[in-house]
Amino acid sequence: MDLLTLITFLPLATGLLLVATSRLLPEQAWRWVGMAGMVLTFLLSLQLWAGFEPAQGGFQFVHHVPWIPAYGIHWFVGIDGMSLLLVVLTTFLMPLVMLASWNDIKRSTRSFVFFNLFLQTGMLGAFVSLNLFQFYVFWEVMLIPMYFIIGIWGGPRRVYAAVKFFLFTMAGSLPMLVAMLSLYLLHAEQFGGALEFDLIAAPGGGTAGLLDTIVPIAETATIPWWQTQAWLFAAFALAFGVKVPMVPLHTWLPDAHVEAPTAGSVVLAGVLLKMGTYGFVRFALPLFPVAAETYAPVMFTLAVIGVLFGSLVAMVQSDIKKLVAYSSVAHLGFVMIGIFALNEEGLQGSILQMVNHGLSTGALFLLVGMIYERRHTREIADFGGIAKPMPVFAAMFGIVAMSSIGLPALNGFVGEFLILVGAFLVSPWVAVAATFGVVLSAVYLLWMVRRVFFGPCDNPENMGLLDLGLREKAVVLALLIPIIWIGVYPNPFLTRLEASVGDLLHHMERTASAARSEAQPSEVHQTALRPGTAPSAIPRRHDPASGKRWAASARSEAQPSEVHQLGGIPR
Amino acid sequence: MIDAPVIDLSAIAPIGSVAIGAVVVLLVEVFLTRSRRLLGREMSSSYVGATLVVLSTIALAIAAYTAMAGFASGISVGFLPDLPGARLDRFSSFAIALIALASLLSCWLSLKYLAEVEINHGEFYALLLLSTAGMMLLVAATDFLVLFLGLELMSIPIYVLAGFDRRKLRSNESALKYFLVGSFASGLLLYGIALVYGVTGALDYAAVRAALAPGNPLALIGMGLLVVGFAFKVSAVPFHQWTPDVYEGAPAAVTAYMSVTVKLAAFAALMRVAVGAFGDALASLQDVFWMLALLTILVGNVMATIQTNVKRLLAYSSVAHAGYLLLGFATGTIEAYTAVLFYLLGYAFMNLGAFAVVISLSTNGQDCEELEDLAGLARNRPGLAALLTLFAISLAGIPGTVGFAAKFFLFKAAVDAGLIGLTIVAVFGSLVSVYYYLRLPVLMYMREPGAAKLRPEAATLELVVLGICAFVVVLLGLFPSEGPSWFSGIQALEWARASASVLF
Repeated sequence: MDLLTLITFLPLATGLLLVATSRLLPEQAWRWVGMAGMVLTFLLSLQLWAGFEPAQGGFQFVHHVPWIPAYGIHWFVGIDGMSLLLVVLTTFLMPLVMLASWNDIKRSTRSFVFFNLFLQTGMLGAFVSLNLFQFYVFWEVMLIPMYFIIGIWGGPRRVYAAVKFFLFTMAGSLPMLVAMLSLYLLHAEQFGGALEFDLIAAPGGGTAGLLDTIVPIAETATIPWWQTQAWLFAAFALAFGVKVPMVPLHTWLPDAHVEAPTAGSVVLAGVLLKMGTYGFVRFALPLFPVAAETYAPVMFTLAVIGVLFGSLVAMVQSDIKKLVAYSSVAHLGFVMIGIFALNEEGLQGSILQMVNHGLSTGALFLLVGMIYERRHTREIADFGGIAKPMPVFAAMFGIVAMSSIGLPALNGFVGEFLILVGAFLVSPWVAVAATFGVVLSAVYLLWMVRRVFFGPCDNPENMGLLDLGLREKAVVLALLIPIIWIGVYPNPFLTRLEASVGDLLHHMERTASAARSEAQPSEVHQTALRPGTAPSAIPRRHDPASGKRWAASARSEAQPSEVHQLGGIPR
Repeated sequence: MIDAPVIDLSAIAPIGSVAIGAVVVLLVEVFLTRSRRLLGREMSSSYVGATLVVLSTIALAIAAYTAMAGFASGISVGFLPDLPGARLDRFSSFAIALIALASLLSCWLSLKYLAEVEINHGEFYALLLLSTAGMMLLVAATDFLVLFLGLELMSIPIYVLAGFDRRKLRSNESALKYFLVGSFASGLLLYGIALVYGVTGALDYAAVRAALAPGNPLALIGMGLLVVGFAFKVSAVPFHQWTPDVYEGAPAAVTAYMSVTVKLAAFAALMRVAVGAFGDALASLQDVFWMLALLTILVGNVMATIQTNVKRLLAYSSVAHAGYLLLGFATGTIEAYTAVLFYLLGYAFMNLGAFAVVISLSTNGQDCEELEDLAGLARNRPGLAALLTLFAISLAGIPGTVGFAAKFFLFKAAVDAGLIGLTIVAVFGSLVSVYYYLRLPVLMYMREPGAAKLRPEAATLELVVLGICAFVVVLLGLFPSEGPSWFSGIQALEWARASASVLF
């Protein structure tokens, strides 16, 4: 079994093993075995980090096995720099989450351990998938454990939050399923009828991957509206936008975050939200480059609104957890700005910022969970001056808050800086608005820190608070290491991203120009027609034969074997 | 001297074994219940039930086995060589095997259930087998008269079964309602057959197909009436009103049986009629299917969201599933029919599984009826709760289960044929369905147990059925076209394709 497949399924296998032997093991043993599975997964993922060749580009550790070959569905895994970072982030966060909720989860511990392991496999599977169908399976499957984690161990409105979370994500991803299908059929038309869900050509030859599809820009007599870039991009953007979440699709997030148990919030903020931004970079951009460029202003606008709106709403929250939840909306808005800058700086910064947000916001949620465990309240007003009884906690919270704000020498700075540079190159106004968001994040976080930790400690309940225990210190310290590392020396991370981002931009350029030149003749054709009749209506069932003609006229340059290096996006 | 007609035994083996089984079960039941006089001692009713289940199992297993063997060998023979009104080919053997398996599982589910709700009468199994024989005839029919014969043989025992709990008002209401609506549907169907016969002068599908002139208004009306007749049977909107009442009133084991097998048989027969008898004339009916699918998906899903009764919920969900299947008919390509057959296969197991959980909770003459009864089930019965969650997830079409695989192939075929609008409607229907299926796990996992009296332990046969259904749901969900190493013989999608391609 290859390394990526092993890493993906090790958590779920641990979980199933536990279920199979459930009669034999006491509840406490489940935690230990689950933890062991997660730590082992993390150690294995370090091997990925070590074995990854940053300079090489393309996908590495690829593994390709037929699954439903007649439909072009394969078990196809591989990672580039971006997925490497996110995989390691996931495997790193999960054991910490487990450790942090060691005493937090008191009932149905067995199910809790199982659902966390199940969730981890779901997330890892989505990050390593190089087959769109396979990605979709993991993308949907991971909803189930998260739904149960929120719904069983959450706060008072947990059921509402869990169902809302599930339905919002499904509402986004079902249209994506239809878009996937029409893309898949378009691909088949362009490449001689072979059905294929693989993103790139399989190692050892094979047909071209989905990424080689030249998605038409405008509808024509043979291309119905639902196979044009704009519509397909819209469907994909809806699915990913819900997950990011982009304003105005974000309303599930505060509910889910506030109601979820600490473990759920950390995973949700740390990894699940990254699914959305990852989806944009991995699928939406390379597949629909022209639409991405065309609609970048729209995405910018939504992202800037997200940054400002998220920050302003965070500022007025009286609940610490809700404040952190809204700060996520703002931070992810930042990431979206970087992605749609569509240049090297912006994309690198965005991907790094995904990791940063996972670490910083994950840590913030953990810290909020620790104080909630002690006081059973998260109201800012209930606290004040708790730096005195809990100095270590206060110090750690301060550092994490600073990293979230983007103070230099901590991780947030590097990502935000790169994103701002990228945005500035495209539109100074967006950069200015985003900078304003950084200022706001300082306002809401520092204000909250002041109200919670400083001032007089006059509430008697707060005076006797115990500082962090060894377990809690270990969890937060483990998170502080990468937070400071990325801040001081981000090079190892950035070099791993460089080639992947370069590949992506190059690929976008190539397919965009191919799609544009494809659209050229038909536009001329239409202008010639314009004086007389209106363009004919779209046929309800489009003629496959005419579709094939279109494919045949597609330039021979798109032949897979010529352009394709093994397992990589063609450079 | 009259020559006896030459009958190919391999062709009628499945249907024959079930029909003979029905008669044997009926006789043995009489024999055993009169056992005091005949054997000198009283037989307990559970012993009688077990004997009858064993006999039914043998009959259905023979039917399933011979149908599968017929499928494997790819035979295509008429039931009566001189008078080919029905035919065992890959299509009918696929459907017959599936019907036999679904009936077998329903039979196993009934044993404990009938005793628990105190309606343990042996006729139950005889009626079930008779109706199964009717279904087999229905799907094998290649002649409109045989089709009608099969339809009635299927329906009449089910009318009786729906009212099997004769002390309960709602069971009686269910039977009467189903009977009235069913007879009405049969009437429409028969009128349709008459019109088609009037236009073409033929009853045999192939002859009708050859003689049907497109654009003939009478033929159009005839075909329309036939479709309406079937629409009643598969509970397509607006011909679905009977479904929730009948499903709710009938004993749960009967509901499980009819919700799966009737749908299977009616859809398979409709497919055969649509492709085999209507042929090119079907194009004019494509819009009818389109409209039926649209309405069925929307109404079924929306109505399901407001139900508080498990059986009614599953009734509306079965309406919604009929809508997805009609999407396949609106598409009308071989790819779509393959997907429909695969969908039926998956639907049989996931729906039976869901009903099996409800059945295994019924006790004391009472069905597990209200959704509230399931509150907190995960606390006391973690296994059952997990299984019901699995079936609900599969019915909702979440990946990793057969429900998703089936929808995926169906949607793929529809998009391929350019039916993007209807596919988007179906997709949003699935979204709504996620909401109401999620209510089951919400109740079971996120609520405290209520005061409902539920059966504390499931019977062995029920566990076997649950296990089989769960296994199939997961296996076909992950590997629809070819199973992994140990199960590489299970190639459900290929079977569906092979059987659909017979029609073209």
